[in-house]
Amino acid sequence: MNLSIIDWLIMLVYFVFVLGIGFALKRYMRTSNDFFLAGRSIPAWVCGLAFISANLGAQEVIGMGASGAKYGIITSQFYWIGAIPAMVFVGIFMMPFYYGSKARSVPEFLRLRFDEKTRAVNAFSFAIMTVLSSGISMYAMALLIQTLGLFHGLMPESWIFHVSIILSALIVLGYIFLGGLTSAIYNEVLQFFLIVAGFAPLVWIGLRNVGGWQGIKQTLPSTMTHSWRGMAHASTNTLGVEWVGLAMGLGFVLSFGYWCTDFLVIQRAMAADSEISARRVPLIAAIPKMFFPFLVILPGLIAVSVTSHMMPKTPAVTLTAAQYAALPLSEQHPHGIIPLKTDPLNGQPVLDGKGNPVYNYDLAIPVMLLHFFPTGILGLGLTALLASFMSGMAGNVTAFNTVWTYDIYQSYINKRGTDEHYLWMGRMATIGGILLSVGAAYAVTNFNNIMDALQLVFSIVNAPLFATFLLGMFWKRTTGHGAFTGLISGTLAALAHHGLTIPGDAAAGIHGGWITIVHHYPSDMAQNFWTAIFAFSTNLVVTIIISLVTTPRPESELVGLVYSLTPKPVEHHLSWYQKPVTLALAVLAMLIALNLVFA
Amino acid sequence: MGLDIRIPLGLIFLIIGGIMSIYGIVTRNAADIYQKSMGINLNLTWGLLMFIFGLIMYLIGKRQKWQDDPVNPRPWEKGDRPRH
Repeated sequence: MNLSIIDWLIMLVYFVFVLGIGFALKRYMRTSNDFFLAGRSIPAWVCGLAFISANLGAQEVIGMGASGAKYGIITSQFYWIGAIPAMVFVGIFMMPFYYGSKARSVPEFLRLRFDEKTRAVNAFSFAIMTVLSSGISMYAMALLIQTLGLFHGLMPESWIFHVSIILSALIVLGYIFLGGLTSAIYNEVLQFFLIVAGFAPLVWIGLRNVGGWQGIKQTLPSTMTHSWRGMAHASTNTLGVEWVGLAMGLGFVLSFGYWCTDFLVIQRAMAADSEISARRVPLIAAIPKMFFPFLVILPGLIAVSVTSHMMPKTPAVTLTAAQYAALPLSEQHPHGIIPLKTDPLNGQPVLDGKGNPVYNYDLAIPVMLLHFFPTGILGLGLTALLASFMSGMAGNVTAFNTVWTYDIYQSYINKRGTDEHYLWMGRMATIGGILLSVGAAYAVTNFNNIMDALQLVFSIVNAPLFATFLLGMFWKRTTGHGAFTGLISGTLAALAHHGLTIPGDAAAGIHGGWITIVHHYPSDMAQNFWTAIFAFSTNLVVTIIISLVTTPRPESELVGLVYSLTPKPVEHHLSWYQKPVTLALAVLAMLIALNLVFA
Repeated sequence: MGLDIRIPLGLIFLIIGGIMSIYGIVTRNAADIYQKSMGINLNLTWGLLMFIFGLIMYLIGKRQKWQDDPVNPRPWEKGDRPRH
């Protein structure tokens, strides 16, 4: 691929701004509070956009585009059943405890509510998870740059992957090192608008090309254009999940586990300037979030709808036009302009067990950019793509440096440091976090679809967690011993379930079944959802049993931490339309409407 | 924080939108470039839209005084305020 000077110029402007924001904010970083909590001074709408942008990393843009191309509009379940209800719940019910308890991080909240050991479990598992996620984002970005040939001709081919990793690491390091969480949040807002600006014209031009939504409906099988059709049984929908697994596994356990307990996103709301703002953050975030399927999933659908006879006009990414023409357009699995997956080592197409070619769905969105965008706006599209990778990485790094400094370093290594020392430690943790991410990026190579990899990490670490928070915030009898035992059993249950089951015809190993195989799931998605359900249920039951046989803390210590013992937030001075509940109801109404339109 | 995000946000859209619009004007007769985007000059149309968005953001950011002066104590430094 040959980019013109205009494309490079646009990308350069973006990188100048990213680092410029870090430099502009450097002088405000006086205390550790400024660095880790943005001084608790950011307006709700800024935090709200950062809230979704921090999550808008590689797994979102590449993974959702890939799933859109593979499974269809049903992927929007990740938003409409998954994210949005959880975001409404965290804003209305949980944020008063996070913000009001003055905890500086989610693990610290667990120490206030339960005890030291529960915090330790959460802090360590979370730190590992952020480094992994950040590494995955970094890896995906480098792989994409290599596949697209972005630096083609500028340096030897074998350098491209390594140079991409080092460059992205240095840029993210630069702006977080200088400006801490504020810098990350500001850049996430910038990234949010750039992602919208880069992808909106892509969807518009793509829809024009395939004849609008009606055109897609005529081209693709109906299972791909309806989000609820065939949900009664796993074999009649493209995800291979029945509605119970979807609603409980994805809708309840995984999404609530992620959006309500993951410090990566909660940290953005904690930076808000008041408790009422903090409660509005996830609700404000939910509004653009619910329309994101049109930006990240729809391009995937368009990519498989564009018929292959249009191919000769476009420069292929990894294949020549002649190779495309040789491929039959299958009715069941249309691939449109999705290229074949090639082995990065020898450049040969990858074949599955039956000798059929494998399509590289992860390239759905990048290939759309190359297909429809002329020079100039192509630079903007690539900037949007890079911005999403950056925000995914930076979100994890800021969450990591806070948890490391407050919950690991200050709690177990050096309890009596000065504030300046912790600020210094935060900067060092930023460097350390980036180095670990680079290590993780090189370690992650074994997964076809990035989304599956992250879901696996989440279902083992995050899924049992929500039961702990739910019981901790809404049942005053829950004890520290109960929470700790429950959390450990939940994680063990997730591991055991993953080791005992296997999706479809996968080989035992990383995909499951490494103990022995007792159950086959129709798809890895179904396996992930049920792993989460088992982990959550185990944690819930064990926590309740242990709590009932151990001594609870006195009620006076739990004010501000448990729902029934905390005074309700005073909202008399707000008009009805200013109250978070009103916003939440509006969000839910829009959500139902969207579900009905695409049912 | 002493920097209103709308100022850098406005500026980056002004600059990128500006670059795209100018490039779009220069290449308005080059049909071969816009064959990909079905004959639509995406650089000019989308660049102009981005430019206008950037201008609005920048002007709002300039008008609004950021409430929180970095020199004054932050909300959390003022001690126990009445909770909302």
